[in-house]
Amino acid sequence: MADYLLTESQGPWAGPGADRFAEDAVALRAAGHRVVLFLVENGVVAALPSGPSALHTLLERGGEVWVDGFSLAHRALTADQLLDGARLVEMAEVAERLLEPQVRGVWH
Amino acid sequence: MAQRIPDADVLLALMGAPHTSDMLTSAVRLAQALLERGATVHLWTCGHATGIAKAALGATKPRNLENWAHGYPSTLALAERLLDAFPEQLTWYSCRFCTEERGSVPLADRIKLRPPFKFAEHVAAARTTLFLGVI
Repeated sequence: MADYLLTESQGPWAGPGADRFAEDAVALRAAGHRVVLFLVENGVVAALPSGPSALHTLLERGGEVWVDGFSLAHRALTADQLLDGARLVEMAEVAERLLEPQVRGVWH
Repeated sequence: MAQRIPDADVLLALMGAPHTSDMLTSAVRLAQALLERGATVHLWTCGHATGIAKAALGATKPRNLENWAHGYPSTLALAERLLDAFPEQLTWYSCRFCTEERGSVPLADRIKLRPPFKFAEHVAAARTTLFLGVI
């Protein structure tokens, strides 16, 4: 089992890549890996309840969805608008996770 | 004599143009958070990201007509502040081909120019590599 920190920086309207990336997170979780999907920049809007179904699936299957508080505030969104289970984080927590030796990071 | 690339905890490769998204902001925020935790960080700029640290930018951005009295630091000034704050932990590299091809020369003195075909050696020297953006 590996630990993945997957960062999605693009909004769902940027093309199919963002949805596919979230589906990759689900696939990794289904394979038994520990998965954190970190949403930053325009990627934070995927954490709204109307966002991609893959995020709901990821949370249901034990994955984590982290949302960058700085990016959220820049887009005039608030934590209470996020889907249940999504967690607001700051960059400090992301850095700490990335520095854990077993963690593999990917940025999209 | 071949240059030895020091080991790094994280290599952040900035491959995209800095003005098209929040990529540069995210990269700097992440780099700072890593450095504050004692990590060694290498930044590699490629493509139009090489323009972040070109010397011609000076210390401040052009004046903001809606806030005439306020000074806004240039991306070069931000890069130099980060290098000043973490001189032992942060190394900033720039792809020589992209730097020259995009007209980003000369860069600030502390930015190290590297041939593009050496990039793989930098990846090998880092425990974790993150690519941000595309060329």
